[in-house]
Amino acid sequence: MIQFIKHFVRFVIFALAQALIFNQLEIDYGIQFMVYPLFIFLLPFDLNIFLSLLIAFIFGLTIDSISNTFGLHASSAVLIAYIRPHIFKLFEPRDSYDPGSELSLQNMEFRWVFSVFGLLLLIHHFWFFLMEIFKFNELLFVFQKTILSLPFSIVICILIQTIFLRKTKTK
Amino acid sequence: MRKLFAFFKRFQVFLLFIGLQSLSLYIYFTFLSFPKTQIITSTNFVTGKILLAKNDVTKLFNLSNTNLKLQQENIKLRQKNPISLIQITRKSVKIDDTLFHQQYEYIPATVINSTFDKRNNYFTLNVGSLQGIKRDMGVFSDAGVVGVVHFVSEHFSIVKSVLTKDINIDVMVEKTDVHGLLKWDGTHARFGKITGISNDLRIKKWRKVVTRGGSAMFPKGIPVGKVSSIASIEGQPLWDVTILFSEDYRKIQRVYVIKNLLKTEQEKIESQIPEDIIE
Repeated sequence: MIQFIKHFVRFVIFALAQALIFNQLEIDYGIQFMVYPLFIFLLPFDLNIFLSLLIAFIFGLTIDSISNTFGLHASSAVLIAYIRPHIFKLFEPRDSYDPGSELSLQNMEFRWVFSVFGLLLLIHHFWFFLMEIFKFNELLFVFQKTILSLPFSIVICILIQTIFLRKTKTK
Repeated sequence: MRKLFAFFKRFQVFLLFIGLQSLSLYIYFTFLSFPKTQIITSTNFVTGKILLAKNDVTKLFNLSNTNLKLQQENIKLRQKNPISLIQITRKSVKIDDTLFHQQYEYIPATVINSTFDKRNNYFTLNVGSLQGIKRDMGVFSDAGVVGVVHFVSEHFSIVKSVLTKDINIDVMVEKTDVHGLLKWDGTHARFGKITGISNDLRIKKWRKVVTRGGSAMFPKGIPVGKVSSIASIEGQPLWDVTILFSEDYRKIQRVYVIKNLLKTEQEKIESQIPEDIIE
C-alpha cells in the first residue's frame, strides 16, 4: 500500500514537472530535457509487465495531454517500459537484485545506474525524435537531437536521484 | 505444450505492447489532420485548469514586455483616431458609416501553453466555443500572423501554429503582389519558407511579407515577416524563399482570434465553382 502511494505521488510529481517545467525549457539546436523516463525506471523491477506497460501508457498520455504532443510521449514511455525488464536482465549483477529494493543510485553502483539508465534514455530519446520527425532523409537531425539532449537528461535525472531519493531499507 | 504456452505468454506481452504503441502513434499521426479525441488534448477540463494556473505564474515574467507592446499598438491606433488628424479642407464629406460593413471581429485571447522546438507546434488558448471560437478561424498577434484554430472545447482551444508542417497560409510579398504558400521546415522558430513562387518573378530582399486574405481566415495585410534570402531550387522553375518571421513565437502571449462575419457567404459562393473535370 505504501509502495502504491509512493509511486502514485511520484506519478503526479514527475508528470507535472515534465510538462510544466522541463517541457518549457526550450533551448535551440533541438535540446530537450526529459526527466519522466526516471519514473518508469524507478518502478519496482519485479512489477508485472502488463501493469508497467499500462502505467507507462497512462503516464505518457498524461504528459501528452498537458503539452500538446498527442501520443508521442505515450509511445516512447510504453517502449521503454517494454524494454526495461530485458535490459535489467542483461545487466544483472552476480548476486541478483535485492527484492524490494529500488534500483536507484542509493542502492546500486554509480556505474550500473549510469550505463543502464543511459541505455534506456538513449533508446527513449531516439524513438521519441524519430517518431516526431518521421522522415528518413532527416535522420541526421534525429541523431543530432538525440545526442545533444541525452547528456542534459542524464545529468538532471542523476541530480534528482541524489537529491530527492533516500536509501530504501533492506530487511 | 509447456513451451507453446510459454511462447504464447511471451507473445501476449508483445501484443499488448504493439497495441498500446500503435494506439498512441495513431492518435499522434491522425491529430494533424483530423482531431477527434478531446480527452488527451490540453483542452480538457483538468489540463486546461492546470495550464491556466501555470499561466497565472508565468505571465508575470513577461509583464513589462507585454505592456510595452500593448502601448506601441495603442500609439499606432491612436494616430489613426480622428482627434489626432488635422482636417485640411472644410468641404470634405463625412464618411457614411453604412457604406462600410464590418467584416472582421477580433476576440482577444491569451496563449496559456506553447512550444516551438517540436516538429508540429500547437498553442493552447484560454478561449473556447463559449466565447464564439470555431475551427479554422485565423489567429494573429500585434506583430504578425500566428496560426489557425484547430480544435475547440468549451473553454479552451488549440491553435495549429505557423510552426507546423502543413500550415499553408496564403501570403504575398508586399507591393509586388507575388504570392505563395507559407511553410515551415521544422528547424528554426524564426525562419519560414514560401513555396510556389515562380522564378521569373522578381523579389527583393527584406521586402515585407503579408497575408493575402484569400481563404476567408485572415484579412489582407496582416504582417508575416520579411524576405531574408532567395535561392533557386534545382530542377524546378521556383524560388526557394526564406522569410524571417516578424513575430517571435518563442515569447508569444497575447493574440487575437479573427471572426470573419462574411465567411459563410464567401464559402457558399465559392462552392458553386464547378470542379475541374479530370480526364
